Amino acid sequence: MNPSDQNWSRLTTAARTAPDPRDTAAPYGFATRVVALAMAQERVAGSLLEQFSLRALGLAGLLALVCVAANFSTVASLFRDEVANTDDPVAEIVDLAS
Amino acid sequence: MSEDESFDLAGCLELVRHRDQAAARSLVEHLHPLVIRIVRAHLPRRVSEEDLAQDIFLKMFTRLEQYKGAVPFPHWVSRIAVTTCIDQLRAQKRRPEFRWADLSENEADVLDAVMTNENDVEAGDALAARELVHKLLDQLKPADRLVIQLLDLEQKTIAEISATTGWSQSLVKVRAFRARRKLQKLFQELEQKERP
Repeated sequence: MNPSDQNWSRLTTAARTAPDPRDTAAPYGFATRVVALAMAQERVAGSLLEQFSLRALGLAGLLALVCVAANFSTVASLFRDEVANTDDPVAEIVDLAS
Repeated sequence: MSEDESFDLAGCLELVRHRDQAAARSLVEHLHPLVIRIVRAHLPRRVSEEDLAQDIFLKMFTRLEQYKGAVPFPHWVSRIAVTTCIDQLRAQKRRPEFRWADLSENEADVLDAVMTNENDVEAGDALAARELVHKLLDQLKPADRLVIQLLDLEQKTIAEISATTGWSQSLVKVRAFRARRKLQKLFQELEQKERP
């Protein structure tokens, strides 16, 4: 062992003998405070999820409306064709004949 | 950890998972001695031990769902405590320079005795020796400091340190070697340059 190691060894041997009179029990109210904070954090996480879910639902609804509006003419013409085909018996007979 | 051997840790954890506040408080009280010993051994400057212990317990509750029982629960909590302390020590960034002139009279006497005498430090100087050790440990990198503290002050084995920190035994040995080399350098510098 070199001199520096011996110095360190003697120092730590002495340090180990130093008494530590400090109490290791939790201070009064510490556990209550920690548990309250921990439970509050969980609630915040839950409500954040709820908020995001509601926002996502609103956004999805808005996107659906935008899609319908953007393609309104196509959707409307499909409905018109369908209505024309089903309401006109002559057209149906012509369709069948051809 | 508290000395209460009758504490039903598994049952308590089950209740805590079901958000039982009384069980959660019992768990904190049961583990407080274990956590506070780690905190006191690795407490960064200007950080309150109670604040750090609180951070550790909050992390424990946040990550409780991740605990699968692969290691005993107190070991798992120890690892959270150790990593939280290391993170705090890293956050300090700059370590204060170790200078002879900054030591108290008692600390300087102890250091002088250690460097000049072959004899052990006197029993009355134990507190000064402990302060001095902590000032020297402040010069090390947080992870190296932790290893050397557990080895030389708490006299843990390499296997125990590996279990407490989650580091491999080879990594623990490398860090211990690096820490000792740095301490040697510090003593040599003190001997050559600083000594009054």
